[in-house]
Amino acid sequence: MDRTGRGDRVCRAIGLAGVVLFLISAFSPLAYRLTQWMGGSPRPVASDAIVVLGGWISPSGTLGLESQRRLHRGIELYQRGLAPVLVLLGPGAEGAPTEAEVRAAQARLHGIPADAILTETRARTTRDEAMRVKALLQSRGARTVLLVSNAGHLARAQPLFEHAGFEVRGVPSDPPVESDAPESRIVQTRVLVKELLGWLYYRMAGYI
Amino acid sequence: MEATFMAALAGLTSIGAYYVGARALGLPSASLGAAVGKMLESVGMVLIFLAVNLTASVLIVLVARGLTGTFLSAYAADDAVWLGLSLIQGLAFQAWRGSAADPSEPSRG
Repeated sequence: MDRTGRGDRVCRAIGLAGVVLFLISAFSPLAYRLTQWMGGSPRPVASDAIVVLGGWISPSGTLGLESQRRLHRGIELYQRGLAPVLVLLGPGAEGAPTEAEVRAAQARLHGIPADAILTETRARTTRDEAMRVKALLQSRGARTVLLVSNAGHLARAQPLFEHAGFEVRGVPSDPPVESDAPESRIVQTRVLVKELLGWLYYRMAGYI
Repeated sequence: MEATFMAALAGLTSIGAYYVGARALGLPSASLGAAVGKMLESVGMVLIFLAVNLTASVLIVLVARGLTGTFLSAYAADDAVWLGLSLIQGLAFQAWRGSAADPSEPSRG
């Protein structure tokens, strides 16, 4: 068989897999179900601290949607009295407001006392966040944390924080309502694929 | 509801396109299967370009981090524009392969 024919067959198989994955992603609740499964059945319990992982902030200082979701979940947990400290993470572009500072300002507007908020503005990767939160909370004797992020990210973040010495309970920030819109489902699939690749990289690098 | 509407509408326009092709343009129905196969090959080529582009961008970021010691975000790989760029690359490459394999296509080499 010539190489062109074999190449065509390989391309066709990849194309078929891509089309099937696209249709399943857009027209079935697979991504939502997977997200739910990865997030488990969260029952947040009283802990020493609530740790809200960084998401994204624009150079002008506007929090990204996922960053806001995580922040609001963290605020909700604090307002339920589940921990005395709210740790907000996230760096920023040079000279621009950091994500952690903008989040802290919003948390104060929601009535969280300033002395209950800790910020960490230097961590740029999830691994870095675990190390810096360890340094931040160690002196306070914090052992148990409620870790807030999207379910796909928690699969990678939770082992990192456990490795840093915390007893971790993951709290997904994903919206609890299933979307019927194909575009939302595609976005959710994209997040899951990205987090799966991140998890694989961390595994291969020996971080988790 | 939205998903059902979109799937139903795409189904209807596909049936409409089949009738236009078969009746108005006189295209043989028997060649539809081969056409779908060609479409899948093109999609496959686009996905190959996408995988290569994303892998290369992440590798470049990781190597640059290692060499310079400064933080570079891997989020450049997390951009929907890669799909558009890969679409252009993949379709052009498939067309090139197709024209090279078809002796009736004029060559301007």
